[in-house]
Amino acid sequence: MDFLAEGFRRALALLRAGDAEVFGIALLTLKVAVVATTVACGIGLPLGYLLATRRFWGRRAALTAVNTALAFPTVVVGLLLYGLLSRRGPLGGLGWLYTWQAIVIGDVLLALPIAAALSAAAVQGVDPRVRRTAETLGAGRWLTAWTVAREARFALAAVITAAFGQVVAEIGAAMMLGGNIRGSTRTLTTAVALYTSQGDFGLAVALGLLLIAIALIVNVTLQVLQGKGGG
Amino acid sequence: MVELRGVRHRYDGRLVLNLDHFAVPAGALLAVVGHNGSGKSTLLRLLALLEAPTEGAVLWDGAPVPRRPPTRLRRRITLVEQRPILFRGTVLENIGYGLRVRGIGETEAYKRTAEVAEKLELLSLLERRRHELSDGEVQRVAVARALAVRPDVLLLDEPTSSADRSASGALYRALAAERAARPLGICIASHQLEDAYRWADDIRTLAEGRLSPVTPENLFRVDLAAGSGDTRHARVGSIEIVVTTDRTGPVVLAVPPTDIFVSREPLPSSARNVLSGRVTRVAAHRPGGGVAVTADVGVELVAVVTAEAARELALAPDAPVVFSFKASAVRVF
Repeated sequence: MDFLAEGFRRALALLRAGDAEVFGIALLTLKVAVVATTVACGIGLPLGYLLATRRFWGRRAALTAVNTALAFPTVVVGLLLYGLLSRRGPLGGLGWLYTWQAIVIGDVLLALPIAAALSAAAVQGVDPRVRRTAETLGAGRWLTAWTVAREARFALAAVITAAFGQVVAEIGAAMMLGGNIRGSTRTLTTAVALYTSQGDFGLAVALGLLLIAIALIVNVTLQVLQGKGGG
Repeated sequence: MVELRGVRHRYDGRLVLNLDHFAVPAGALLAVVGHNGSGKSTLLRLLALLEAPTEGAVLWDGAPVPRRPPTRLRRRITLVEQRPILFRGTVLENIGYGLRVRGIGETEAYKRTAEVAEKLELLSLLERRRHELSDGEVQRVAVARALAVRPDVLLLDEPTSSADRSASGALYRALAAERAARPLGICIASHQLEDAYRWADDIRTLAEGRLSPVTPENLFRVDLAAGSGDTRHARVGSIEIVVTTDRTGPVVLAVPPTDIFVSREPLPSSARNVLSGRVTRVAAHRPGGGVAVTADVGVELVAVVTAEAARELALAPDAPVVFSFKASAVRVF
């Protein structure tokens, strides 16, 4: 157990010293997570609303597909995108493999089903009178959606938190698509895996603590935002 | 103004509304009465353009309304549901909702909000939130919210179901004031005949999703002459009904079917109205169960008794029967 205690001590020292590499990795992780969560929720939340409120042909199949996608293994998504982005793949020309953008794409694909499926459930949980009332009072399509979303804001905030949690803790796609390149695509999760395998527990624990701190800060921020506006 | 033609509406294959024609003309004051489950709320949702009928057409000023009606059309008709829901935020914000979505400026919106809040006696509640209101107050806020947007047609589903007497008085006064100020068509769905007869020019009965030609039970339009004290004798057909009221002139009398005692022989009692006749019909009574016994006692009256009582009294068509009810049981509108 000594190595763990030693790890914590090393971690605190590194964080106190403001180690440039550690903070670079943390910053990249945060950037990837924020961009991927924003894109995934930007698409997933409206998609979830549509799935919950509109009756169209194939809706049930779409819901099943989204729910199935929740269980996609991250390495499978990584493998699929690797095939697409590799030089011989159809999107190879973009030159995105082993860039942070590739990690974002992988993370978006993983977080999108979460955003869509959970927001559909959240919207379905809103009393149907809310939508009818908004409509009968003259709200158009967008304002009605906004009104329903306001009523479901706690559940939707939980959706965003879950999507962020998926993205920030994900390692399979980050490793396969980013390549864990030092100073370029090394994220907190890939770095923790790397330093652990190298036996550098202090650094691994330091990065693990940072990862938890980021998750905590984002959750607290979302909770504070939810608290505003009253009941 | 808004009308339904050849409408058959189904939920999961079950026919819930079957109307050849139903219209709310401009400026009309219409009441739709019917028991719970008779299709009133569905009818109002179709009229409010919130749902499209499974079959048939909805017309606005004679022109067909598309299945997904444009917002500008929906803004001319507003529904207040039976158990309305208030949005997150204060009463003030709720009343102003429809004005905000119409892009009406803050000053004008506040003026209109305060105006309707005053009419519905809500001024002291403006800063409250939904969990701080009683059911009756929620209903009044919902009506205020609907009136604030000044629709051409207002649809009210059981608007006073949770209101006490003074609150429902405030509500109807506000509606009357609104109608005095501008043309406003109102359609009220209610299972309370009191609401219907007090306020409507025209009453339609809905039963099992269809318009019923039968007038609601035990209602009589009479002209009450002045009498001694607060007792009046009203002539209805060949009989006389004794009523406790201080009203005179044209009124509607309603004898609640559950307030009629049914017996085979006249019984000594305090009931001022004791009417003998013969049973014409015995049928299961839907709301609350029991048996509806229709008898010709000079006029046709319906009484509701328990199935057990109907059996014991051997109530069957053509059986002799006596209907008794107190003068104070008769309601005067």
